[in-house]
Parts: sequence; C-alpha cells; structure tokens
Amino acid sequence: MSVPFSGTLRRSGGIVSAIGKQLKSVNLKGVKRITVQFDPFAENVKSTREFLFLLSTPKVSLSNPKCVVKPEIVCDRSPAFIKFSLIDSAQEQAKVKEIRFNSANLNTLELLQLCNQHVSTLAPPEEITNKVLTKAEKQKLGGGAGGGKKATKKK
Amino acid sequence: MSNLIQQSLPLTSARSPLLQFLRYRGKINIQRPKEPHYERARVIAVTQPKYPEPPKAITCFQSRAQRTGTQLENPYNAIVAREVLNWLNHSRLAAVFHLNSINADEIFRVRVQLHKQNMHLKSYGRKIIGQAVTGTAYEAILPLFHSNHCIVFSPNPQQIGALLRITRKVPQMVLLGGIVESKLLSRNELMDFAKMPSLQVAQAQLVQTLNQAAGTVVQQLQAHQCNLVKVLDVHAKGESSSTEEAT
Repeated sequence: MSVPFSGTLRRSGGIVSAIGKQLKSVNLKGVKRITVQFDPFAENVKSTREFLFLLSTPKVSLSNPKCVVKPEIVCDRSPAFIKFSLIDSAQEQAKVKEIRFNSANLNTLELLQLCNQHVSTLAPPEEITNKVLTKAEKQKLGGGAGGGKKATKKK
Repeated sequence: MSNLIQQSLPLTSARSPLLQFLRYRGKINIQRPKEPHYERARVIAVTQPKYPEPPKAITCFQSRAQRTGTQLENPYNAIVAREVLNWLNHSRLAAVFHLNSINADEIFRVRVQLHKQNMHLKSYGRKIIGQAVTGTAYEAILPLFHSNHCIVFSPNPQQIGALLRITRKVPQMVLLGGIVESKLLSRNELMDFAKMPSLQVAQAQLVQTLNQAAGTVVQQLQAHQCNLVKVLDVHAKGESSSTEEAT
C-alpha cells in the first residue's frame, strides 16, 4: 500500500525571497519620520544597516514620499535601535507616539516582519479620489437623450 | 562505371564527368539514420566514453556539502586585495561610508565631483577587504564593511572639509568613520578634525603661545617706562596746544 503524501508541494525560496515577500507589503503611510541609530563599530549592527538600506529603496520610500529616513551614527557602542514616529491618525489608533525596535539581536527578516506587524497596519486606508470616466462610460451615464444630441452635433 | 566503358569515339563522348553529386535540393536525413554496419557499430560501442558514477550511498546532506564545500579560491581576489592594501597604504585619508539605495547617475555625479578634488571613490566586497586587511594594522576597519559601503581615498588629509561638503548633498552616503595618517577616527572625531585649522595655522598658534611667556615678562618689565612715556606725551601735547592757543 502506498504511504499518504506528507510534506510540502513547493520548496521555500530561502531567506532572500522571504525578505522580498515582506518588503512587498511594507507600507509607511502611517509614519512621519524614521530614525535609525547605530554605532558602526558595535556588534550586531549588520541587520540594522541592511534594514536601513531596504528602507531607502525606491519601492518602499514611494509608499510615503513625505516620510523622512534619518540615519544617526553614534560613537558610544550603544545598542542600535530604529524609531518610527507616527502621524496623528496612526498615533490615535495605536495609542503611542512612536514605535521603537531594539535591533541589536534581531535579524533583517525579523525586523521586516515586526515592521509589517506593527507599522504597516497603522497606515490610513486609501481614499478613492475622482475617478476618471472613459468616453464609453460617460455616454452610458449620459443616457439616450444626451447620446442623441451628441450624434446630431457631430453631424 | 558506364562512363569507363568506351562505346563511342574518345572526344565525342557526352558522358558526365567522374564527379557525382550526392545531394540535391537541401533536406538531408538525420532523424532516421541508417543502422550502422556491425563492424562500425562495434567500434562505436568500444569508443563510447565512460564517466565515473557518483556514489549513491551518501545522504542528501553529504552531497550538498560536497557540492557547496569545495570552492576554489580565485587568484584574482588576491590581486584585488593587494590593490586595496596599496590604496590604504598610500592615501593619507580614507573615509568609509554606508551606501543606501542610490542611482548610478547620482553616484557618478558624486564620483566626478570627488575626482575634481583628486579624491577617489572605490567599493570592494567584504571578503576581499578581509583578505587584504587581516593581519595588518588596518584590521580594525573590518566591522564597517558588513553592509553596502563605499570608500573614498585621498592623498591630502586637509581635503576632509571638501569631502564632507560634497557628501552632505548626498543623503544616501552616511559617513561611518575613517583613517587619517594611519589613525582610525570615528565619525564625530572626523567631523572635529574637519573643523580644526590647518597644520600651518596650528603651528603659528603654538609659536604664539610659546612667545607669549617671554612676551609677558618683557611687557611687565617695560610697563612703568611705557607708562611714563605716555604721560609725558600727553603732557607735551597739552602744553603745545595751549601755546598754540595763546599765539
């Protein structure tokens, strides 16, 4: 008799594709300012630096062009942290003024996961502004009379 | 064969020449080849290459370790490492920056601006820098190269001001630290170094302070005489002005 199937149908793509997947869902609309502070000679700042690099990519920075990412370099071997200063609506929603990640013992994937868990959820929902109508849609809305008038005008 | 048998006069034969064309109008057959003759097939069978089969008894982990473990060291890495060490030894100022996501256009613009000041923007991989620097005096800068980075080399340490001015306009370049005259400086120390006056000015200040000690002694010795001279001058001017008024 055959053994019932157990295991995965698809293999995971590794840590790089996991990071890519998290990056796609990063939304900084609820953030006013991001401060990344680290000491380059301290231990375990690689993940902070990688996170800083990923925040500066065009895809992530275009999710909120008003958000400023400020790297701060210190020289006192203090542990690295990342501070997200929230906008007012996000502050009301989360009941805190800023979110701080102590990134000394977190790796890049974990930082992105926490960011998506805590920060991307605070993005205000998008409002649909004026929707541009195509000619066909306008004619449909205009109805028979308007369509008839337009036809005579064309002639 | 038929053209070998002479049936007519020698020069009057209208036979085609001994060349016989095998192919006419393309389309040769390679998909359904003829079975070779037994002898030919035997030679082909004997001359087939035999490749050693990988052992089937090892586990997946072992085979993966075999595949990924044996990586040959590229000798070009040694050449580039030597170049890096050369740059570090011959430039009196080397500044290391963290590089965020940047366009090639923008980094080229920075490179051009730096080149005009005779500064050189370089970037190498961490492995190569590690190879270049471990065991030398520059080993302490290794932690700066964990992430995306670039290095600026300059033969003149006084250009730190120009370097900071150019990179201030580029938000993607974040200064981490540097080496000045074989001394490792952190970011704050580099900024202080940029604010310091040049060597000549510092030497002039030193000479001034050294002379100040002797100068104060001389001044104090001559104080009373100078005072007397000044008072006499004022008195003389006062008398001369009064005589002028009288006349």
